[in-house]
Amino acid sequence: MPLTPSTTHAQASAVAGESATRAHRREKKSRLHKDDPRSPLHRTERRWALAFVAAPVLGFLLFTAYPLGYAIYASFTRWNGLGLQVFIGFDNYVQLFNDQYFHKALFNTFFYMIGIPIGLALSLLLALALNRKIPGRTVFRTIYYIPVISSLAAIAILWQWAYNGDFGLVNQVLALFGIDGPNWLASTTWAKPAIIIMAVWKGLGYSMLLYLAAIQSVPRSLYEAASLDGASAFQRFRAITLPMVRPVTFFLVVTNVIGGAQIFTEINIMTPTGGPEFSTASAVWYIWRQAFRYQQMGYATAMAVVLGLLILVITLIQFRLNRRNSFIID
Amino acid sequence: MKKSRLIAGTVAGLLLAATAACSSGGGSGDADTLTYMFRGGDDEKAAYQAAINRFTEDTGVKVNVIVTDADQYGTKLQAAVSGKNVPDVFYVEQGSLQSYVKSGILLDITDKINEAGVDLTNIWEYGVNSYRFDGKVQGTSAGALYALPKDIGPFAMGYNRTMLEKAGIELPDEDEPWGWDHWVSVMKELTTDTDGDGEIDQWGTGLNIAWNSQGFIWSNGADFTDPTHTKVTVDTPEFAEALQFFADLTNVDKVTPNSEQAATLDTYQRFMAGQIAFFPVGPWDMSVYNELDFEYDLMPFPAGSTGKSATWLGSLGIGVSASSKNVDAAVKLAAYLSTDEDAQKTLVDANIQIPNRIDTADAWAAEEPRKPQNRQEFLDIAKDYGRAMPAAFTYNTAWYDEFYTNIQPVLDGNQTAAEYLAEVQPRMQALLDESIVASEQAG
Repeated sequence: MPLTPSTTHAQASAVAGESATRAHRREKKSRLHKDDPRSPLHRTERRWALAFVAAPVLGFLLFTAYPLGYAIYASFTRWNGLGLQVFIGFDNYVQLFNDQYFHKALFNTFFYMIGIPIGLALSLLLALALNRKIPGRTVFRTIYYIPVISSLAAIAILWQWAYNGDFGLVNQVLALFGIDGPNWLASTTWAKPAIIIMAVWKGLGYSMLLYLAAIQSVPRSLYEAASLDGASAFQRFRAITLPMVRPVTFFLVVTNVIGGAQIFTEINIMTPTGGPEFSTASAVWYIWRQAFRYQQMGYATAMAVVLGLLILVITLIQFRLNRRNSFIID
Repeated sequence: MKKSRLIAGTVAGLLLAATAACSSGGGSGDADTLTYMFRGGDDEKAAYQAAINRFTEDTGVKVNVIVTDADQYGTKLQAAVSGKNVPDVFYVEQGSLQSYVKSGILLDITDKINEAGVDLTNIWEYGVNSYRFDGKVQGTSAGALYALPKDIGPFAMGYNRTMLEKAGIELPDEDEPWGWDHWVSVMKELTTDTDGDGEIDQWGTGLNIAWNSQGFIWSNGADFTDPTHTKVTVDTPEFAEALQFFADLTNVDKVTPNSEQAATLDTYQRFMAGQIAFFPVGPWDMSVYNELDFEYDLMPFPAGSTGKSATWLGSLGIGVSASSKNVDAAVKLAAYLSTDEDAQKTLVDANIQIPNRIDTADAWAAEEPRKPQNRQEFLDIAKDYGRAMPAAFTYNTAWYDEFYTNIQPVLDGNQTAAEYLAEVQPRMQALLDESIVASEQAG
């Protein structure tokens, strides 16, 4: 069930529609028109409208609001995920506040976000390159987009092999340049960068596609005017392209941060024990482990609530910053 | 009007179907159909399917099989439980038995098994007791029975017989364990560069701390907890000595691939490639190892200061859901897979386990021809020197996993075992205390 802002939108317009009908009823009592509340047609259509509105609302209540409320309740209980829930107040929250592994997992999770600006810069460059009329452009676009549509689990396994210390593709390529590569996933220093590289590679195609669309929708007249004024290619990029793709950048940053905060599959497949000395464990990975390996569902839920709040706060800050920096072209 | 009714009906139907889909599926509603959920590799799947087909033939009860990979099993089972859709019969680990019992998910099958006339004295006592729980203590002969052992898994020390013979080394005795010193000296001899390219390509052993260190610790007179499983006892000198010995195999004696080499191609693969002399072998390995192009055999685990071998003896249980609509058939299936002579023969012949029935075990160990030659070692572990994994009978395993989380510096030789153990003991104790509290609060 997709839950988009359209849900609330539909609700709002339904309410508005209703009051309008009421006003309507008061004004035109005499004629039996299809808009008249007493007409059978009006009643049927009204019921239909409500039914259509009800579907997403029910879906939201059933699949989002209820689980969310239940999760908040569960985070105040000691619960093994199977049976009895014992209410223990803020104990779980106190525990996670003192849990060094949770702190480390949170740190790792935010460390991975270094990949977001790197990925955006690279994909913007790629989009600029592939926006030119170069031979084989469609082929390149396709190649960069393939990782996006591939299964994450399969990709994680491939990269796990690629990172293999002795036989891995990555180190073989490095060896061509005379570099003796590390044993990526077994090293406390290199395990996190290894995951970042993979995540950047995986996300490149998607960001590139959005940037391509954004670049192509920049009015040509702006570039022409700038050229007449003697602006160099770099100036045109800095003063026109960059601000014009800002909304896309904002969208990508927000969605990447939200997605990045929930990184799990890569970690769980490439480093099933959380990496050497817990160096790759992400917050969601740790939550999953507490919930399903140690049967600490209540504690895991408390951590999930905290993570959710963190994401919410960060997203709100981003929106605030964006509003301050936004601009409108006449 | 008619048309709109039709659409209304369709929409309503779809909505209903969508909600219904959340609550049904799999299900244990049908009286002569059971669901059986288990995990395993391809060989295991095939062997169990064969055993189940025979069960259906004999009893007329159909069995829906749900099989998962080993690492997904726990998550899937828990999801099935929270969806109130527990399979009738399913695997249960020793370590999660207590939470499943306290949450009322596992059925107490003591009486049903007695009524069915199953002779439990003919099944390994350790296996049966693993699933007995009296509300406080698990693993003793007291308490109600909540599952039957699928098997018991003795983890023996194995060796590449071809390699030892080629090097002219006297083969290990089948009864007298080697001491650590002798074992290490043999391994030093075997750790060489066989093709003369200047790089070592054959090693004495290559052990995994999480699965292979327990035997050394125990045989040195140390243990992870006291017998009541309430106090963590890893900070003893015996424990430190054993862990140091284990780490020194790599750093001082240099008879194993180093940690990077081991991470590159794990030692399991290296053993199968004939690069490693000594490597632990479980019964589930036989189906693969029997196809290798060298001979392997089993030996008593090299012994520390106690002079006695020790190793772990695993087990996985087959439990019955307390909410099963077809309890009798479900218990019958569990008992069939665990104890029936024909079913056991199918599973044992697939080389994935040792016999569950004691009366057939000796014959199996003496069978001709057999591979490995010293099958008896598995039985010796089962009868004599095998022990339960440290976290098998505690409420959860967090305290035990903590032992391994930060152990890498010890294995790399950057921290002494004694230092590490002094540091990790309080953390493990805190987690064990938590799990005891959790257990008490769960019921």
